[in-house]
Amino acid sequence: MLTDKTLEEIERIKKKYPNTKSACMEALQAAQREKGHVTECDMRAVAEALDIEPVEVQEVGGFYTMYNVEKPKGRHHVQVCRNLSCSLLGAEHIILAIEQELGIKTGETTEDDRITLSTAECLGSCGTAPMMQINDEFHEDLTVDKVSDILKGLK
Amino acid sequence: MVTLKVNGKEISVADGTLILDAAKEAGFVIPTFCYQAELSSLGSCRMCIIEIGGQKKLQPACITPVLQDMEISTETEQVEDARASMLEFLLSNHALDCPVCDKAGECELQDMVHKHGPRKGRFAEMRETFHVKDYPLSPVIVKNSNRCVQCMRCVRVCKEVVGRGVLGTIGRGAHQEETSFLKGELDCDHCGMCIEVCPVGCFMRRPYRYKSRPWDLNSTKTVCQYCATGCITKIEERDGEVIRSIASKDTEGFNGRMLCSRGRFGHDFLNNEERLTTPLLRVNGTLEPVSWDKALDVIKDKLKKSQPDRVGAVASARLTNEELYMLQKVMREGVGSSNVDASSRWSAGDSEAFIAATAIDGAGLSIDNCMEADTIFVVGSHISDENPVTDYMVRYLSASRRKTVMVASVRPMKLDRSAQITARHMPGRLGAFLAGVTLKLYEENKTKLSGVKGVKSLDGLSIDKLSKASGVAPGDIEAIAKKLSSSQSVSIMAGTDMIRLGDGTGGLCLLSDILKTLDKRVFVLPLLDRSNQRGAWDMGAHPNFGPGYSELKGDTGLDCGAMLEKASKGEMDLLYVIGDDILAMYPDRAFAEGAIEKVGFLVVQDIFLSDTGKVADLVLPGASFVEKTGTVTNQEGRVQPIKPLRKPLGKAREDLNIIADIGSMISKNGSFTGDITAETVMEDIKKDVPMYGDVECDEQGCRGFLIGGVARRSLKCISVGEEDTTELKENKKYPYYLVTGNHLFGSGTLTGSSSMLRKLIKEPTIEMCIEEAKSSGLTDGDMVTVESDGGNGKYRLQTRKKSSSKVVFIAENFNEGSVNRLYKIGERVPRVSVNKGA
Repeated sequence: MLTDKTLEEIERIKKKYPNTKSACMEALQAAQREKGHVTECDMRAVAEALDIEPVEVQEVGGFYTMYNVEKPKGRHHVQVCRNLSCSLLGAEHIILAIEQELGIKTGETTEDDRITLSTAECLGSCGTAPMMQINDEFHEDLTVDKVSDILKGLK
Repeated sequence: MVTLKVNGKEISVADGTLILDAAKEAGFVIPTFCYQAELSSLGSCRMCIIEIGGQKKLQPACITPVLQDMEISTETEQVEDARASMLEFLLSNHALDCPVCDKAGECELQDMVHKHGPRKGRFAEMRETFHVKDYPLSPVIVKNSNRCVQCMRCVRVCKEVVGRGVLGTIGRGAHQEETSFLKGELDCDHCGMCIEVCPVGCFMRRPYRYKSRPWDLNSTKTVCQYCATGCITKIEERDGEVIRSIASKDTEGFNGRMLCSRGRFGHDFLNNEERLTTPLLRVNGTLEPVSWDKALDVIKDKLKKSQPDRVGAVASARLTNEELYMLQKVMREGVGSSNVDASSRWSAGDSEAFIAATAIDGAGLSIDNCMEADTIFVVGSHISDENPVTDYMVRYLSASRRKTVMVASVRPMKLDRSAQITARHMPGRLGAFLAGVTLKLYEENKTKLSGVKGVKSLDGLSIDKLSKASGVAPGDIEAIAKKLSSSQSVSIMAGTDMIRLGDGTGGLCLLSDILKTLDKRVFVLPLLDRSNQRGAWDMGAHPNFGPGYSELKGDTGLDCGAMLEKASKGEMDLLYVIGDDILAMYPDRAFAEGAIEKVGFLVVQDIFLSDTGKVADLVLPGASFVEKTGTVTNQEGRVQPIKPLRKPLGKAREDLNIIADIGSMISKNGSFTGDITAETVMEDIKKDVPMYGDVECDEQGCRGFLIGGVARRSLKCISVGEEDTTELKENKKYPYYLVTGNHLFGSGTLTGSSSMLRKLIKEPTIEMCIEEAKSSGLTDGDMVTVESDGGNGKYRLQTRKKSSSKVVFIAENFNEGSVNRLYKIGERVPRVSVNKGA
């Protein structure tokens, strides 16, 4: 269930859009801020608040990588962009470096549940490629060394 | 107009026509997947790509409009190659399990690959596997996503046509799956439109699963009998068992592929083992099988001993035109009585007022024409439940043609979401609400409207008073009046609540007169709930007028209510009931039971042993609509043929023959003897009912579809002054107003005998406003006892949003817990109490 605070925020968000369905993305983001992912109950609550069908919320949640419809196992969710700009500038090497550093494959989680690694399509930061997103933070102009330092900093 | 060339052939089409349609007009069919005429354009499957002269890249025909002097080629080598490539691409992720797929044989992908290739696929990647086993989405729908071609027709049809939107596209790219929320069971209309539009075997019917191949089915193209929308449907059977009903591309009805849950899944009642197959006569208190000769002899004997005015007939408005015409003829010319009615629910006066208000006695009007008006105003109808396919048409046509929809109703319904203005009025106060709208229009155009007949009856009324009486805010009344006043043309769709509650016909008459005087084009379309209700009235199966609404030579007869009243005094010698269940339907069950018991001799002709049949003296087995020939007239006035799929069961006979036989026994001048068939009766109808003069029916269907011309007599409208414009008074003991109507999944004996529909609605329910339920300590799913002055019953509670707080709804057709036990004779809106516990 969503807290009253989130529901109030959704009411505020609703007012910014011509129809409630357009508010779905922002409302879902608000819902996700509560615990870092959205559950079935959350999606139903967002649908209820926006007077749309739950499946319409799931459509949005399932389409964009920024929503975690399933809870990532690790405390930190590392998403490496592998779209055109990032790939041209060596995203492949970055992914390989992370896999080696953590000893896991893409899509897996470290044994201590510290980090979940996944890849993403364009995250909209082509000017600073290659890049990755850890939880809500962007890490840009990556090099193999820089990545190693960042990963070590994750507790 | 735009002139262009398709494969060298020159044609002219309207501006904005899609290349796909232009090519079709020129005689070239372009293959499509994601395109569906009723739906918004998507252009995602790329199956329809064609070559346009001067353009290097191929273009999708289903989203590209024509331009002047375009040169289009649809059958070049390049186009054929591209089609084969698109199919190769689609097949790269397709399960290719045709041998076990229900769709095989009528699969669009199969047909397309057969026609356009490729013979070999080159993709080496693994197929996407969404799941191993098929999963159910509802009691009637089962899903296999591995066969999906991602055309999204299911998602669009659910949203744009059905208006539910419970299907979505989850994920993206090759991982995209069209399914329900978290693949759970759907809480929807269960209409199966997703199954119908699915080009492959991704959505399937559960009842039809692994049952048959399409080429093994015998079928008949006929008219669905569940409501007066009159959808053309194909009923299919194998080895004597009715297996499915389907509206496909090739059924060519005005409904296209649209059917509702009742129409698509509700025809298994035809296989029900409880169908009547032999005449039954009451001997020493029990019904025992007898021969037809014996049964008819008994009727002859009883009729001889009866006085004409003590004989009556009540027929179902689901019989064919021919049968109803014959019945009223037998009653009027044979028996010599006008005691003939085609509804046990409504009084003759109320139905006559409705006929006058909606001009049913005039010419027919198609829904499509109605939807050409600027504004569509739906009143007195729960169209989403009673006429689901009409509701679909209003929804998608108003969206694609950008029309305004306004709804005024007692209960909330699905169409509200597609409406720009929604007004919720109190039950029995539609008249007051319409008077408010007319008053507003009148106040603004007094000089122009002062000559309109009946406008004087508005004197003494005020918007304020009418707003209070109807429960609609003055602002809403004004908004609706404003919208009507700014429209060039208005369509008013008027439903059965106006007859059920005897309410609003005066307001409707005056409103349409006023709008006409204001130089607007006004269309009025009746929305009816029995398949041949309009036909029944056209045929004169009504105590107050004869065929074609002609004036009766003798006295008017008694309607069903009056016949029961007479019976209760012991003055009815014989009552002949065909296909109607008076005990289940007459709005006062206790009274009906008492009256029926006192009928001298009760003859019930039906396909099931109804409650009324159980107390009859003689029961005659009739034929269902797939076992007889004839025509029915839908609410639009469209005459459509029904054609037999098989012979009547056992000793059962076609109803027309039974009625004619009874006629021939009592006729004095031999007018009912000889070869009487649906065709010969139709010839009589054409002579007797002027509107049907042009109707021509043959193997292909009926032409001169919409009945035309003007009836001989125009019925009189009631005036607004006669409408009830007082405020409803509170009742402490029984705080709720009970309203009734058809349920989406049930409309009486037929739906009750369908095992599929019984899965969708398991027990009688009562609908209540969610806030009201909360404040009374009730929650969705509770068992509640409903009590009124007339009686009580137990129902399962369903809460509804946006409902009027004091109004509760129980469908009128539950077999057990029938709502008529809560009614008292003459009471339109019973007051009830709702309490927790059984």
